Amino acid sequence: MTSRRVFVAQVRATTAANLKSRYRQTIAGFLWVVFNPLVMYGVQSLVFKHFLRLGVPNYGLFLLSGLLPWIFISQTLEMCTSLLVVSGKLIKSFPVNPLVYLVAQVADNTINFLAAFTIVLIPVWSHSPGSAIGLLVLPLPLLVLTAAVFGLAWLLATLQVFFRDTRYIVSFALSIAFFITPVFYPVDMVPEKYGWITIINPLRWLLEPFRCSLYAFEPAAFIRSLAIAAAIAAIFIGLAAFFWRASRNAVYLNV
Amino acid sequence: MPYTLMSDAGPVLVLDKVNLTFKTDYYRSGSFRDSFTRLVKDPLSVLSTPRDRLHVTRNVSLSAKIGERIGIMGLNGSGKTTLCRCIAGMYLPTTGSVERRGIMRAIFDTSIGIHAELTGRENARLLAEFMYPEVEDKHSLVEDALTFSGLGRFVDVPYRNYSNGMQARLCLSIISACPCDLLILDEVFDGADSHFREKVTARILNVIRGSGVVLFVSHSPEQVRLVCNRVLVLDKGEKAFDGPVEEGIAFYERLATTQE
Repeated sequence: MTSRRVFVAQVRATTAANLKSRYRQTIAGFLWVVFNPLVMYGVQSLVFKHFLRLGVPNYGLFLLSGLLPWIFISQTLEMCTSLLVVSGKLIKSFPVNPLVYLVAQVADNTINFLAAFTIVLIPVWSHSPGSAIGLLVLPLPLLVLTAAVFGLAWLLATLQVFFRDTRYIVSFALSIAFFITPVFYPVDMVPEKYGWITIINPLRWLLEPFRCSLYAFEPAAFIRSLAIAAAIAAIFIGLAAFFWRASRNAVYLNV
Repeated sequence: MPYTLMSDAGPVLVLDKVNLTFKTDYYRSGSFRDSFTRLVKDPLSVLSTPRDRLHVTRNVSLSAKIGERIGIMGLNGSGKTTLCRCIAGMYLPTTGSVERRGIMRAIFDTSIGIHAELTGRENARLLAEFMYPEVEDKHSLVEDALTFSGLGRFVDVPYRNYSNGMQARLCLSIISACPCDLLILDEVFDGADSHFREKVTARILNVIRGSGVVLFVSHSPEQVRLVCNRVLVLDKGEKAFDGPVEEGIAFYERLATTQE
C-alpha cells in the first residue's frame, strides 16, 4: 500500500470512530449535531429580523449562508486547537502521522456541518429559494472553506503545542470575531470608516463565496470571492506546513 | 518460521552517524525574591526563558540484517526510546541518516486506547488500522487477537472502564498479531498481570522470531537474554557497546554500578 492510501484509510477509520464516539453517551445522539445550529439559527433569525429589524430581504437564506459556515469554522477551530496536545500519548505511542487525527477531526466536523446545513437549508430554500446555479456550485465554497479551516486548525494546533495560551486566545478571538465578521449583517452595513476591519478579516472572505452562491448569485462576484478564499486557504495551509516542518521534532517532544 | 516478505540478505536497517538535538526550556523559580535578584543581576534575562541544546543521540551508526534481534540497553535518559522513535520515523535526525526497508512496526506504550468512549473491540479495530495497514483481512486479525486477550465479554465494554491490566491485555494482543521486517518494541512486557504475561510472552516471542530485525528496548537482562542475539548499550546518547549478548549485559551492569 502506498503511504497516501494508508493515510486515507487511517483518516477514514478515525473519522468513523470519531463520529461513533462523539454522541455515544448522549441520549439525543445525532440530534445534537443539528440542535445547536438549528437553535442558534432560529434565535438569531428572530432577533435580527424581527427585534432589530435589519431589513435584509430574504433574511432566512442570508443568515443561513453565513451562520452555519461560521458555526463550522468556530467549532472546528475550538476542537482542533488542543487536539495534538490531547492526543500526545497516542502520537508518541506508535508511528502514525499526527495529521491523521487532525484531518479526521476536520472531516468529522465537516460531515456534521453538512448534515445540519442540509436540514436547515431544505425548509428555508422551499420557503424562499435562491439561484439554482448558485446551489449547484455550492460544493466549491464548501471545499475551499474546509481546506482553509484545516490549514488554520493545523497552524493553531501546532502553536498550542508550544504556547498553551493559544486555545484561550482562539476562544476569545472567535467570540469577538463573530461580531466583527459579517455573519448576521451584510457587509455594506459597515460604515466606511470601519470598512478596513472587514477587509483585513480573513474569516469574512471565507464566508463570502457561500453568501455569493446561496443568497445573491452573480457569476463574476462568485468567482472573485472564491479566488480570494482559495488564496487564503493556500496561505493558511502553506504557513501551517512550513511551521510544521520547521518544528516537527519539537512537536513530538512537547505534546 | 522466518518472515519471508523480504527475500534478499541486505541490511534492513542502516543508521549513519545519527545525531539528534533538541532545544530545551528550563523553568525558573517564580518567587519574588529570585525574580528581583535576577532582574538586578541581568535585566534582559527576565524577558526570555533560558534555553539549551540537548544532545540526545550522538553519532550513532548501526547496521542490522535479517535475523538480528538487538537488545537496546542503557540507563534512564541515555536516548534509547528517542533513538527508536527516530528509527521509526517519528523524529527526524538533526544530522546523519536512517535507512529502513520493508514493513516496520513500532510500539512505545502498551496501554493505549484511541477512543475512551468506544469499546475494546472498536479500539482494537482502529489500532489494527494503524498498526497493520498492509494486512487485507484485518477483521480476522482483530477477532483472533480479541480471543487471545481473554477479555471475554469485556471486549464490548467502553475502553474508559478498563483497568491498566485490561488495557495492556488488549494492546499486547493486537501488537503481537503479525511479524514484520523491522519490529521495534519498547518495554513491551510491562503492564499485564503475571498470568497473562506468561501467555503473551510466548505470543510476542513467536512474532519476534518470525520478524526480520527486532529492536528490543529493555532494562531487564533476563528479557534481553530471552529475546536477543545482539546488544547495543547507549550511554549519554552515544553507542558505548555493540556486540554479543552476555558481554553487552555485563557492560550495562558495570555502567549502572558506576553511575550509582
